[in-house]
Amino acid sequence: MNTQALGVEHYLAGMRAALDDLPPNEVAEIMEDVEAHVAELSTELGANESVEQRLGPPEQYARELRQAAGYPPRTERLPVTTKKQFLSRPRAAAWGLAGGTGVTLLAGAAALREPAVLLLPVVILVLSLALVNDRGPTQQEIMNLPETVRLKKWLTPEPGTPAERAITYLRSLQPAWWLVRAGLLGLGAVLLAGRDIFGFLAIAAVAVVSVFAGPRAKADRRWLWFSLPASALAVGLLFQVIDVTAGQLGYNASRSSYPAPMMETYENIYAYDENGKLLTNVLLYDQDGNPINASRQYYGCRTGDPEPVIPANRYPRPKIDYENGTCYTVTPSATAPSSAPASSAPPSSSPPSSGQPSSGQPSSGQPSSGSTPSSSVPPTSVSPSK
Amino acid sequence: MDTSQLLKGVLDLAVLAVLRKDDGYGYDVVRRLRAGGLNDVGDASVYGTLRRLYNAGMLTSYVVPSEEGPHRKYYSINETGRARLAESRETWRSFASTLDGLLEEVAA
Repeated sequence: MNTQALGVEHYLAGMRAALDDLPPNEVAEIMEDVEAHVAELSTELGANESVEQRLGPPEQYARELRQAAGYPPRTERLPVTTKKQFLSRPRAAAWGLAGGTGVTLLAGAAALREPAVLLLPVVILVLSLALVNDRGPTQQEIMNLPETVRLKKWLTPEPGTPAERAITYLRSLQPAWWLVRAGLLGLGAVLLAGRDIFGFLAIAAVAVVSVFAGPRAKADRRWLWFSLPASALAVGLLFQVIDVTAGQLGYNASRSSYPAPMMETYENIYAYDENGKLLTNVLLYDQDGNPINASRQYYGCRTGDPEPVIPANRYPRPKIDYENGTCYTVTPSATAPSSAPASSAPPSSSPPSSGQPSSGQPSSGQPSSGSTPSSSVPPTSVSPSK
Repeated sequence: MDTSQLLKGVLDLAVLAVLRKDDGYGYDVVRRLRAGGLNDVGDASVYGTLRRLYNAGMLTSYVVPSEEGPHRKYYSINETGRARLAESRETWRSFASTLDGLLEEVAA
């Protein structure tokens, strides 16, 4: 397979050499036919058959073709053209395309701020395409440049390798990319619409044409001078949109880091007098006379009763003993306030009142019910219906 | 008699004839000619003829992308080509009948 591919390349190179005195665009047209011919023929070849065995040497093929096509017989090339020129038009055009695409990427990343920078890649691309526009749709001379051949080899790895599968997969995504590209370009145009009407029109036009450019470039490589930079522009615009969005997100994030209203997680408040005695039926208000309500959801003693059964800012709030169905105030225990870590400062062991030895029991003033180990105070029972 | 010498003069006509109904790329045309009985037709001659007819404005061409391998350039006959085909056919018929007549005399 590989040796046959080499044979095909060798044969085509011989053909080109035998035709190289003809006008370049005519050679390009002939080679377009011949490449497809030799490629198709090589798939029909047997294991030990070569292209030359089928078609004769390339020089003979070229002679026969010239005769039938009515071209003049082969003339000797001028010495000037035999020397490989370093700076040929195809090479300048190829590098112009590569450079123009790169500049488009950079310009695309700045296009929303200053659309006029897009003129620079446009000039590069138009000039480089003008160099080779007459060389036909296949641009065979560019495809034969050593750098292009190397790139092509790099892009077509051995069949069966992961790289080859990856590239095949990416190729299958191409039509989807053409649509995404048009979408990105359209987005860029819309973002410019309010500020720069020429930029808007230019990018919108590129977006529309880009839909057709993708498939066209498959048949006519000259469309690459449009298709590649259009992709670069889309990617550049995407970068810029991401950049702007990320900037705004950063701004929002810094704003939201300002102290938010504190989330109160306590559900009950216990007030003690200076003697460490638990106060009951304390009503709390702020400076404006608004009741201070513990933020946690407060359920009345008996479900079904009209709410609020008691002022929500009366502390300590009674708790329901669901087993007995009665309401009574429960003194804080190590486990009751959910937010306070039990070990650090449980209100039961050290009430906030000053001057009280920490070992003092807050419930010492109260008759403690012996049954519960934690000092739960029975009753001060609050009647739900007042 | 070497038919390849005869063929040279009428390959134009043969190529135009096989493109009359359907467009075709180069190798297509070669196959159609061979299927039609022109076994000796050379690949290169057909490709050369296609180029000549194209340059003479009797054919148009378009490229069809191919998933594997190079793109295929299809040729299709245009009005000029059809006019030439009709004209050449008449020329050929009268020429062939003339030659037939001569050969009959020889045989007689």
